[in-house]
Amino acid sequence: MNSIATVMRFPALVAVMGATLLAAAAPAQAEGGRLEEILERGTLRVGVLGAFKPWSFPSPDGSQQGIEVDLAQSVADTLGVKLEPVVVTSANRMQFLQQGKIDAIIGGMYDTAERRQIIGIIEPAYWTSGPTLMAKEGAVASWDDLKGKPVCAKQGANYNKQVQQDYGPRLVAFAGNTEGKAALRAGKCVAWLYDDASIMADLASGEWDGYTMPVSVLFNNPWASAVPIEELDKPWGVFMTGMAYKWQADGKLVELEKKWEVKPSDWIAEQHKRLEWDESYLKGQ
Amino acid sequence: MRALAKPFRIDVEAVSSFLPSRALRGWHGILLLALFLASLAIATAHAQSGAAAGPPSPLATLVEWIPFILRGFLLNLGMSFLAMAIATVLGIGLGLLQLSRSRFLSLPAWLVTHLFRNSPWLVILFVVMLLVPFELQLPGGGTFIMSDWLKATFAFSLPVMANVSEIVRGAIVSIPKGQWESAESLAFTHGQTLRWIILPQCVKRAIPPWMNWYALLTMATPMASILGVREAVGNGQAAMEAAGARPELLVPFYLFLLLLFFAYIYPISIWTRMIERKYAVDS
Repeated sequence: MNSIATVMRFPALVAVMGATLLAAAAPAQAEGGRLEEILERGTLRVGVLGAFKPWSFPSPDGSQQGIEVDLAQSVADTLGVKLEPVVVTSANRMQFLQQGKIDAIIGGMYDTAERRQIIGIIEPAYWTSGPTLMAKEGAVASWDDLKGKPVCAKQGANYNKQVQQDYGPRLVAFAGNTEGKAALRAGKCVAWLYDDASIMADLASGEWDGYTMPVSVLFNNPWASAVPIEELDKPWGVFMTGMAYKWQADGKLVELEKKWEVKPSDWIAEQHKRLEWDESYLKGQ
Repeated sequence: MRALAKPFRIDVEAVSSFLPSRALRGWHGILLLALFLASLAIATAHAQSGAAAGPPSPLATLVEWIPFILRGFLLNLGMSFLAMAIATVLGIGLGLLQLSRSRFLSLPAWLVTHLFRNSPWLVILFVVMLLVPFELQLPGGGTFIMSDWLKATFAFSLPVMANVSEIVRGAIVSIPKGQWESAESLAFTHGQTLRWIILPQCVKRAIPPWMNWYALLTMATPMASILGVREAVGNGQAAMEAAGARPELLVPFYLFLLLLFFAYIYPISIWTRMIERKYAVDS
């Protein structure tokens, strides 16, 4: 075999392979405010989840729809630009924001202390929910009943670990909600561990007769929109704060609950009441 | 029926040289189609026996979402073409490097080949997803955005590259040594021998396994859906979620995806088998 010696006449190939391996990351350079950039660009890029009914999910023509898409649309309409929803996953949305691929996240994201270190979380939040269980009536009475039993869960949900540690179930994680819930129905697990907002929507759909939400939420966590962290106190962040305040104050969220047939949340009603400006003093003038 | 009369025996040769192209027969397709239609019928009947004013039947739901799923399938095709192109170019280079006389070249090439040949594709996919940055700085000064599907494409190309490398190496080695010696006596240089005498013969031998790897690669592309790439399976899952995540949707949707890939890959398998047969005689 020693006759095949001059094979190395392929420097181009070696160069291609080398370049691929050596290519380095470069952080995106943001010059000037993001708000200005969006107006100049004429489009607003908002990161939304791909399949999270009724907050953000595809329509048969491939475009995104849902509560969060409507919220993003309200931002775009206010700015007078076009909305470009960018489908993100819970694993890549913060990176997308940091890299400048999207201008904001409105994507079913819990507001956590850890995330506040990395991205600019907008206050006030626009929704709230927490992890709970859906199970056949009588199958589960409390969180402690889960010990050692199979529980279907969603891959990547940040409360999986906590539930695992605190209550010791055997978690079976699925990539899709449909698959996870089908496993519950098939009896592969005693309960489906997921967000109460989504479980309430399932129970209300009439497809889950004989199933209940037997336990209270583990915790209630607000969902916040987010901008790049360096933009939080700049025009773009302050503008989004104003939008988030208006969603609460002028009843946009209450309206969207009705439009998308979500069970009205006490928290949203309360926030709406609290943030609605009391204009009664005007009447006496 | 003939098989019944014989004592049971595992055909070791058939098992060890298993190739989808050899294993699949026409009746597999008919069976799958029949299964699909039967499941649709059952699911439809099931849905209709429920509330009349309920949600649309699974079949109607599937039909509504087919364009969305097909759009995802285009991405599967795009990913498979691009990954195969990358794998072929890099794999040929790697295969030739493996045969280099210099240990400094052949050893790393051997290592890379065997590393990627013997690792699970899913693990390679995760590693590439996590290691490759979102943006690449091009030598020209611009930046290149590595979207998830591109990263997944690159990840899929690595194991195929390693296998192409082995195909190329095997094909070259399989050419009788006498040809090298004859070429040398005719004053061909090594490069000329390789290019004009050896490689043209290798192409013929390498094409059937190469096509086989293309089929395997295409079948692997739905793995990218795990990482959020919106290809056919990812879109199918999103469609089921959007249609209310009803469990009776699962069977028709996944069977449709199965048939979709089958309808694309099966002709390739048949074609591969034809080429294999054609070249089997004269080698």
